[in-house]
Order: sequence, then structure tokens, then C-alpha cells
Amino acid sequence: MIRTRNLSKSYSTGRGKVQAISDVSLFVDTGMTLTVMGKSGSGKTTLLNCIGGIERPDTGSVECFGVDIHALSNRDLSLFQRRNAGFVFQAGNLLSYLTVSENIAFPLVLNAIPNKEKDRRVLELLEKIELSDAARAMPNELSGGEAQRVAFARAIAHCPKMLLADEPTASLDTETGKNLVGLMFALGKEEKCTIIISTHDQEIIKLSYKSLDIRDGKVKGPENE
Amino acid sequence: MPFTFWIKTAGLFLVRSRRSTTVLILMVFSAVATLIFLASLAIGINDAMIRNSVSLFSGHISGFNLPSTISRKSLFTDGVSNVLMRIPTQGILSHSGNLAMVTLIAVDPVEEKKSSAIWKKILQGRYLEPGKKEIFLSKPVAEQLNIEPGDNIGFSPDPDLPPVELAVAGIYNTGMYQLDRGIAFCQISAVPAKAAEWNAAIFLNDGADKDLILAGYHKAYLKDSLFKTWSDLMPDLKQLIDLNYISMSIVMVLVFGVVSLGIACAFSIFILKNLREYGIMKAMGVTPSETLLLIFSEVILLNLAALFIGIIGGIAAVSVFQRTGIDLSAYTSHNQYFIVSGVVFPRLTTYSVWLAPCLALVFSIFSAIWPAVLVIRKNTSQILRSI
Repeated sequence: MIRTRNLSKSYSTGRGKVQAISDVSLFVDTGMTLTVMGKSGSGKTTLLNCIGGIERPDTGSVECFGVDIHALSNRDLSLFQRRNAGFVFQAGNLLSYLTVSENIAFPLVLNAIPNKEKDRRVLELLEKIELSDAARAMPNELSGGEAQRVAFARAIAHCPKMLLADEPTASLDTETGKNLVGLMFALGKEEKCTIIISTHDQEIIKLSYKSLDIRDGKVKGPENE
Repeated sequence: MPFTFWIKTAGLFLVRSRRSTTVLILMVFSAVATLIFLASLAIGINDAMIRNSVSLFSGHISGFNLPSTISRKSLFTDGVSNVLMRIPTQGILSHSGNLAMVTLIAVDPVEEKKSSAIWKKILQGRYLEPGKKEIFLSKPVAEQLNIEPGDNIGFSPDPDLPPVELAVAGIYNTGMYQLDRGIAFCQISAVPAKAAEWNAAIFLNDGADKDLILAGYHKAYLKDSLFKTWSDLMPDLKQLIDLNYISMSIVMVLVFGVVSLGIACAFSIFILKNLREYGIMKAMGVTPSETLLLIFSEVILLNLAALFIGIIGGIAAVSVFQRTGIDLSAYTSHNQYFIVSGVVFPRLTTYSVWLAPCLALVFSIFSAIWPAVLVIRKNTSQILRSI
């Protein structure tokens, strides 16, 4: 399970101090899906970054599967991320110098998965995202939807306990976005992965187990623990 | 995490970012190849100064007052190309009432022409010919005696004995005081030898170690004072060559210091261009030390490729001029260390081949430190927001 307690984070900008999230507490049970919705600049990305360890909060804690991740050193946090987390960003997710299959294999190599098992898993995922024929393609040869599917395959390649997706459909058309999220939820369920997804797409919100509304960095509604 | 994985990934990054890699390789390649050539040229200039200085007369090693028990043949060891026998006799030259005190050096003209170069400095007439009772003297001595080639002059090693008559074969001028004042040459049988001792001018093959050969002579003949190398006899030349090495090394470090600024900027751009990639990797759980390993692997691999072709390019350029030489006579004609020839032959040595690549590698690694630290310190979320 993932639990945050009184999470706050602010940034200093040219326009002064901006409170990105304030006193956010939430709870997601293992294998569940949480949708974080809100307008642009509401703090969705900051919340996901804090949960995934990409960003350190000013105050509060994040407990992922029994580990207070912000109490870890940078190195231990990196090791925790590589074993337990998968990320899908809005766009520009892929390592541009690696092929599709090399991108998917990257987290498997990081987790020291044996070559044979790694190759099997890459082929399996390529089939699932229906891009078997693009294994050797470079990211710049893919369409936006294809690139996001590859990013998703890479995010779940090492069977992480949590998948964090920050507006994964933002750069896609409605149909492609819907298909991607459908695939994400189906595969997430299959892999028993806890998914937190930020979006303002009502179609995605309907598909999720639980949703949370965030406005001006604060959680609105009963989902706030 | 296997070390080879990061090396392979660094290699893929380099190969697949062709344009940037090519530009960086060209920068490092041109700097390394140019500096290898310049270092080899500096070595060639040193060689030319030594060659000019020793080939004119003294040889690489000079033997003084050698007893007749030491034969010319016995001085030929590994690395020795020729040993010239010279028998000095003090005496007086006379012509039409003019007198000049000289050291007349009896030589073997055939062997002298093979190794020494004083015969190339002829102003009038010709060099000595075997079997003829001739004398070859310097311009100041000829002027003192008021003689020309073809004149006959007398040489008296002993005032009590009648002078030996010698025909003037030629007149030379080296421009060097030691060789132009009070010295004349004749062939060995032309004048009866007065002293039993002889001098030797020992010439070495290219690359032979003079100190090693000298040590061999000292060991064989037990008398340190008998033999001296050109560096003992010409300390000014020795200092000039040492100075040349030091100034070349300083120039190379300075040049690379300046070049490294350009390379540092290029490396910074190259690394920061991939900032997005490093950000994604960090989000996937790549540790700071692995990121550093990847960045430095990229820099080192790129340098190794550039250094490899830089070394090949530098060696190729030196090889071309090593055969033909570079004629710098216009800039050396009044220099005593280029008295025989102003042609310089660049030469490759361990110093000239490896100094530039080692400097390039060290400077490149240093220049990658700042962008690498920047990548490590930059917050992953900041990087990802800038995507």
C-alpha cells in the first residue's frame, strides 16, 4: 500500500514562493488504482513526483509498501525506485539513443534480470503492446501513441509494485489515449500493480477504482484520508 | 549492475548521436595529431642540432690521447657506425716568410668523408685525396700565410728538423672558432707521426644510446678521462636541447589548456544535450554513481576513439616528413648548430607520441567533471519538467 501523511512542497519561482501541494494525506491499497484529477498547475505532478521519490517533500512522509522512502539516502532511494516503481510521463519518455526493445529492457538490466528471462519478457511486452514489429525501431520513428505504449511497457517491465503515470494521455488523441489507459489498467491488474494516474480526462476517472480531486495543492473531497 | 552494461550503453549513446560524436572526435583528433607532429618536429630540431654539431668534426663520442694499445677496430661496438682516427701534431706552417702555429691533424680522408662534414665547408679547392702529400686548412690560417690552393707550404713539427712540404688542397671555413683557428688537416701518411697517442671521433647510429656506449668504453679501458660525449664537450648545446624539451612541454600544456576550454565547452554541450536522458534514467532508479560511470565512460570512449585516429594521423604526418625532411635553411643559415644543414627530420619518440594523447585524456576527463556534477546534482523533477 501507499500512504502519504501531511505532504507539503513549495517552490521558489520568479514570482515568489509557490505552494505546489499542501498537507496532502492519502492512502491507496495494494493493487488498487487511484486517479488524481485537477487542473493544470493544481499540484498533480508534484504529488506524483513526491510519491515516486522523484522529488523530496518539504514536510510530511511517503510510505510505500512499508518503506518511508524520503528517509532513504539518495542511493537507496534510487535502488528502491528501480525495484518498485515504474513511471510514465506526459511525453518524451523514451531514451532516444536506445531502440524500442532496448528501452523496454533497460529496467530489467538495472534489476539484473538474466538475459534469457529479459529477452522473453521484452518479447512478451512487445506482443502485449502490439509493437513486435517495432522492436528495433528508434523512438523518433514511433507515433505519439506508440511511444507512450513503449513507455508503459518499460514502466511495467520489471513488475514494479507501483506505477505512476503523469497525464499519460495528454499528448494523444482521445481514441489513442483511451486505448492506452485501457491497456494500462488491464496489464496493471494482471501484474498486480498499484497504479496512481494523474489526469483531467473523465473517461479515465470512470475506469479507476478511486479518484481524488486536487485544487491549488490541496485535496478536496472524502478521498483525502 | 554490470560495468560492461554502462560501457555498452555509453558506446550506443556515442554511436547513435553521430553528428555530435563526429564533431568532438574531430576536435580532439586535430589537436592530438597536430601536437604529435609539433612534438616530433621539436625532437627533429634537437636531432638536427646534435647531428650538425657532432657530424662537423667531433662525433657523438670523442676519445682523447688514446694509447696505441687501443686500436680503432676495438672501438666498434653495437650502435657505433664509424670511428675516425685522428693524430694531432703541433707545428709551424711556413710560406714565403709567413708563419702560423697550428695543430695539424692527420686523418684518413676516405673515412672522414663518410662520417664528418668539415669537407663540405670548402671555400676554395678541394678536400684531401688519399696518398697525396696535401694540406686542408682554414680560411684564417690561409689568410695568415697568404696562400691559395695549389701553393706549396712547409710544416715543421720540430724546429730542429727540415720542414715537410705539403700542397694546399683546399681552404674551408666553418664559422666556428674552435675549428677555424690554428687547425689544419693532412692525411695520415703525409707527415711523420710525432706522438704515439691518437684521438678518436666516434659516430653512432640513429637512436643509439651514447651513455651506454660510453659506459662500455669506460668499463673496457678503465680510464674515464679518455672518452667524452658531445654533451660533455658542448654543454651549451645540451642546455639548449633541454630548454627545447621543457619549452615544448610547456607549450603543449598551454596549448592543451586553451584547446581544452573549447573541448570542455563541447563536452558540456554534449553531456547537457543528453540531460533529458539522464533525467529519465534517474527516475528509473539509476544511482548517481552509475550516472557518473555512464558519463565518464562516454567521455573516455570518445577520447579513445579520437586519440586512436589522432595518433595514427600524427604518425602519418610525421612519417611523410621523416623521409623528405623540412628545409628550414632560410631560418638557420646563421646558426652554428645548423652549420652543415638546415633540414629537419621530425622523429617519433615515446615523448612525442604519448604526451599529447595523455594530456588530451586528462584535460577531457577534467572538462567533463563540471557537467557530470551538474547532472548528478540537478533535481530529477527539474530535468523532467524541462522536457
